[in-house]
Amino acid sequence: MTGRRVLFRQGTVLKTIVLALLVVLIVLPLIRTVLVTLQPDAIDAWSDVLVGRLSHNLFYRPLVNTLILGVGVSVGCVLIGGYLAWLVVMTNMPLRRTIGVMATLPFMIPSFATALAWGTLFRNDRVGGQVGFIQGLGVDVPDVLAWGMLPSLIVLTLHYSSLAFTVIAAALATVNSDLVEAAQLTGAKGVRVVLGIILPVTTPALVSAASLCFAGAVSNFAAPALLGLPVRMQTLSTRLFGMIEVGQTARGYVIGIMLVLVSALFLWLGNRVISGRRSYATITGKGGRAKRFDLRGAKWPLFGIAAVILLVATVVPIVVLVASSLAPSSAQLFGNWTSHYWLGQSSPSIAQGTPGIAYNPDIVRALIVTLGLGCAVAVAGMAVGLLSAYTVARHRTGWASATITQISFLPLLVPGIAFGAAYIAYLGAPIGPLPALYGTFALLVIAATAYLLPFAVQTGRAVIQQVSGELEESARLTGASFLRRLAEITVPLAIRGLVAGGLLVFVKIVRDLSLVVLLFTPTMPVLSVLAYRYASEGFTQFANAVAVVILALSIAMTLIAQRLQAKSQPWLKN
Amino acid sequence: MRGSYVAYAFVLGLVIAPPTMAQNLDDMSAAELLPIAEEEGTVTVYSFTSRIARVEDAFEQAYPNVDLQGYDISSTEQIARLQAEATAGVANADVVYISDTPVVLTELLAEGIIEPYVPPRVQDLVLEQYRAPLLAQRLSTKVLMYNEEANPDGSPITNLWQLTTPEWNGRVVMVDPLQRGDYLDLMTEIVLQSDAMSEAYEAEFGAPIDLGDASSAGERFIMDLFDNDVILVRSTDDVNAAVGQLGQDNPPVGFTSYSDRRDNEEEGWALQVANEATPAPGIIFPAVVALASGAENPAAARLVIDFLMGDDSETGGPGFAPFYVPGDYATRTDITPHPDAVPLDDFTAWRIDPNATASIRADVADLILVLQ
Repeated sequence: MTGRRVLFRQGTVLKTIVLALLVVLIVLPLIRTVLVTLQPDAIDAWSDVLVGRLSHNLFYRPLVNTLILGVGVSVGCVLIGGYLAWLVVMTNMPLRRTIGVMATLPFMIPSFATALAWGTLFRNDRVGGQVGFIQGLGVDVPDVLAWGMLPSLIVLTLHYSSLAFTVIAAALATVNSDLVEAAQLTGAKGVRVVLGIILPVTTPALVSAASLCFAGAVSNFAAPALLGLPVRMQTLSTRLFGMIEVGQTARGYVIGIMLVLVSALFLWLGNRVISGRRSYATITGKGGRAKRFDLRGAKWPLFGIAAVILLVATVVPIVVLVASSLAPSSAQLFGNWTSHYWLGQSSPSIAQGTPGIAYNPDIVRALIVTLGLGCAVAVAGMAVGLLSAYTVARHRTGWASATITQISFLPLLVPGIAFGAAYIAYLGAPIGPLPALYGTFALLVIAATAYLLPFAVQTGRAVIQQVSGELEESARLTGASFLRRLAEITVPLAIRGLVAGGLLVFVKIVRDLSLVVLLFTPTMPVLSVLAYRYASEGFTQFANAVAVVILALSIAMTLIAQRLQAKSQPWLKN
Repeated sequence: MRGSYVAYAFVLGLVIAPPTMAQNLDDMSAAELLPIAEEEGTVTVYSFTSRIARVEDAFEQAYPNVDLQGYDISSTEQIARLQAEATAGVANADVVYISDTPVVLTELLAEGIIEPYVPPRVQDLVLEQYRAPLLAQRLSTKVLMYNEEANPDGSPITNLWQLTTPEWNGRVVMVDPLQRGDYLDLMTEIVLQSDAMSEAYEAEFGAPIDLGDASSAGERFIMDLFDNDVILVRSTDDVNAAVGQLGQDNPPVGFTSYSDRRDNEEEGWALQVANEATPAPGIIFPAVVALASGAENPAAARLVIDFLMGDDSETGGPGFAPFYVPGDYATRTDITPHPDAVPLDDFTAWRIDPNATASIRADVADLILVLQ
């Protein structure tokens, strides 16, 4: 009896299963990619990318662009997200609730949709042909505003600023009133309180917001791909895609590995900055919420700035996308509307006979595949996420638990497009008796589940922590098995949280482009890639119509998820 | 006696039937293929041209019981996909309709990823050079086009080297050659034709060419073209719109398909070919049709190829209709050349040699990578 106990200490089996699952899903694909580049016929790719005469264009210039994007976007996001969070959480600005809800919206708009909207507005005549709305008004749009770095920076900053907002707002909501009140009693003025107290204590949130935005920006594929090519701007992610697309896979994989390393390096640096400081504890036993800053006369001007930012980031792209899916010419967005791109039958004179999206079998099929993928990934992701979170929460000690936590967050460091490349290397060819999964629905589901695991585990954790261990403990004492305890206690109690988490995973995969753009095959189409391909073909209206469909799906699902997740935005409560 | 019949049938069924089955399919007429194809019910076509949407309509009207799934995928991407699918042992496609023959012959046909098929009825109607190693359905082009509305007196470009002069800075448009193989073939052909390019240089500038750090006149041209801010876009339709759009004061010129002139009226373009350009306006190359090895719908696949080759009418009928346009040249000798196009014999574009192209294509790709 004792022997058995030592051999199978509580949780060992569970830990082993979860660990094996994570290794198969996350570690092996990454190792496999590295191994592929070390094959004799591929090893040259390393020198081509890193030192040869091609390296300048293949790696270093895209690297510089990638870093500029990453740093620019993270700084921009922290400024905008921080500004909005401060107004919403700490001041008496009017319409705080509305601003708070709107500030989370941009992240629901897929970044490729925002990039498409940008093109619809700002496209100039550099490429000739159809010009955008602004040029159509007779205003000359300079190249810097129409193409390349600046538009990519703006589009991505608007997109990721809601991420920064969410992180910073959550941190600001926990700032202890004692600190602020002590400062105010000793006569410190508003600006001093912000710089001297609030800024220092929220540093970890600022850094982690910046890191998340950086990681997002360097791995983003849509914005630089759609806005960069006419001025030959390449980032590591567009280079990686281009190389794989033309069959130079080894070079593509090397670029992908470098992208992972760059992304990981910066996230690690961010962590170092935080852990260098001693204590950031702001939540103590005592103290309540600080009194809100009285903005007095600055109320409306500050509100105006926030409102303009949010209009630009949310309302404008949505209006532009909807309008341009109806307008035959983006130079006249609000004239000559036709429902052809939505409801029209095939006509040889429009877009080579491509029928409106309601009658287009490709799009109908893609919609079915996309919805199926979203549901499958949501279920699979939450199952693995719950299992991992449960294991770590109930069996906290030991190296296995620590490793499970580490591995489950590893995909955060891996840009979607590099993850896609890794999965092609991993499951693209048969492994022993197992068939190759290239082009199958299963491949999409497995890769997406692994890719989104950090979010699933995070949600799973929050859910598990709500369910007291004592309930389960008593069930265990009455002899209930693990699966029975999970099915009859944990899951029912946590179902709202689980569904909410599942919906978020659903939204993330439905609007994702960077992961699926390489896994896409024509016979297994997904909506976001179709939109991207239509945009590449110059079928702007179809691209925008598909983007509107994705947008509607994302927003509806996110709003449902937010309803289910009670306390998801504590800073909105008074 | 009866027993030997059974044995005979057994042998026929198990040993002889499978090989003759495939042979049979190759020898069958469309009418004979149809019932088998109808049983298969569906057929998947990878096509490098968006015109597959119209072929799909016409095919399903002719054969309502066979569902054609047409996918518009660039040749470059088709090759990458077909290779990946072959490695994975998956056969997604049944029919491959593709250009980019230098890579197709060396990396798809030679590797057994695709197989040739010539419908018996067109065997004698297509010249030998367009029947083997793969059947060419038509000849397509990537040539310099200009806007004839803005240039009523003819092409503003009479010599390719003019594209490298300040006047055309930022006013030459083409698809990124690293994304579309046809354009890489065009660039490769320019390098292969270095002697002609060198002569053309002297004719334009009156002095012999100074190669500088380039190793050939063709390379020099490509380097100068990129130095002159050539604009890269993603698809030929982007080039067409840029060059062809009506109402432009100072339109660019660009490399695109001669046949896209067919869309002038519908799209509001004024595309015209710069056939006078020395030494040549671009390239002319075959668009081939082939079977994917291990195709799941072999009979329907053959039926599609048969359909794509057109019927016996003068213009090739509904199957060829999307391709019976000025600028596409049928390989069938019995199809009348389109009256509005430069006759093939007067068309000065270079005919590519797939093997020569294949030999230096990767180097040209690397050169372009450095220039980007």
